[in-house]
Amino acid sequence: MPTRDELSKYYSTSAQFSPVHHQQNDWPYEIANGEFTAYMVPPHDVGGQADSPVRYEEKEEELWELNTYVTCEVLGWRGIWNSEERRRRGNNDLGASLYYGFPYYGRWIWSAARMLVDKNHVTLTELLEKVAEVKARNEQR
Amino acid sequence: MSSDKSAGVPARFNVGDRVRVRELPNLFYTRTQMYVRSVTGTIAARTYEDLTPEDEAWNRDDARREQYYIVRFRQKDLWPEYPFAADTLQTELPDGWLEPANN
Repeated sequence: MPTRDELSKYYSTSAQFSPVHHQQNDWPYEIANGEFTAYMVPPHDVGGQADSPVRYEEKEEELWELNTYVTCEVLGWRGIWNSEERRRRGNNDLGASLYYGFPYYGRWIWSAARMLVDKNHVTLTELLEKVAEVKARNEQR
Repeated sequence: MSSDKSAGVPARFNVGDRVRVRELPNLFYTRTQMYVRSVTGTIAARTYEDLTPEDEAWNRDDARREQYYIVRFRQKDLWPEYPFAADTLQTELPDGWLEPANN
C-alpha cells in the first residue's frame, strides 16, 4: 500500500510520460495527418532517430532476464504463441513511453503476461493475486 | 483451410535486380523500417521463405510463405546528408514489400 507521498510521486512521474509532442488538450478532437503518421510508427523502428552516444558495455544477463527468455521460449514450444514475431508485436504494443522506458527483457515479460491474459490462459484477477502473493513472500524474507 | 497453405508465393526477384520498397502505411506492426520505403535498392541475396512479419505476429500459420531478400541501399539514398558516397546499408525484406524498379 503506497503512502500518500508515494502515491503523489507515482502520479506526477506518470504525468511526465504524456507525449513530449503534445497540445494543450491531452485528448484532441483531431490531429494533423503528419502527426497521425508519427504516432503510428512502431516503437522498434528507431533507425535514424537522433540520440546521444552510448557507452558500450559488456554485461552478463541477470537471472531474471534468463528466466524471462526461457519462459517466453517454453510458451512457444507449448504452442501458446511464437516467441519471435508475436512476442515482438507484444513488445511494440507497450506504446512508445513504456517501450523506451522498460529494460529489454521487461518488455518481454510484460508481453508474455499480457498474452496469457488476452488468450484466457489466466484471468487478470488470478495474475493480480499471484503477484501480490509473491510480493508478500519476498517481503517476509 | 486451403491445402496449399505451406506453398510459398513464387519469388519474383533475383540477385542484382533493382527493387523499390513499397509505400504502405504503418498499422499496428511491421518490420519494414520507414526510412527504406519508396527507396530503390539492389537484391544482394535471397535468404529463405517464411511468413511475413505481419502474418507471423498474429500467429497466422495458415498464411502463405514469401521469399525473403537482403536488399542493399546506398546510405546517401536513405540519408541525403550522409557523408560517405560508397557506404551501403543492408536489410531483409519479404517479397510482398518490394516492387520492380527500372532505374
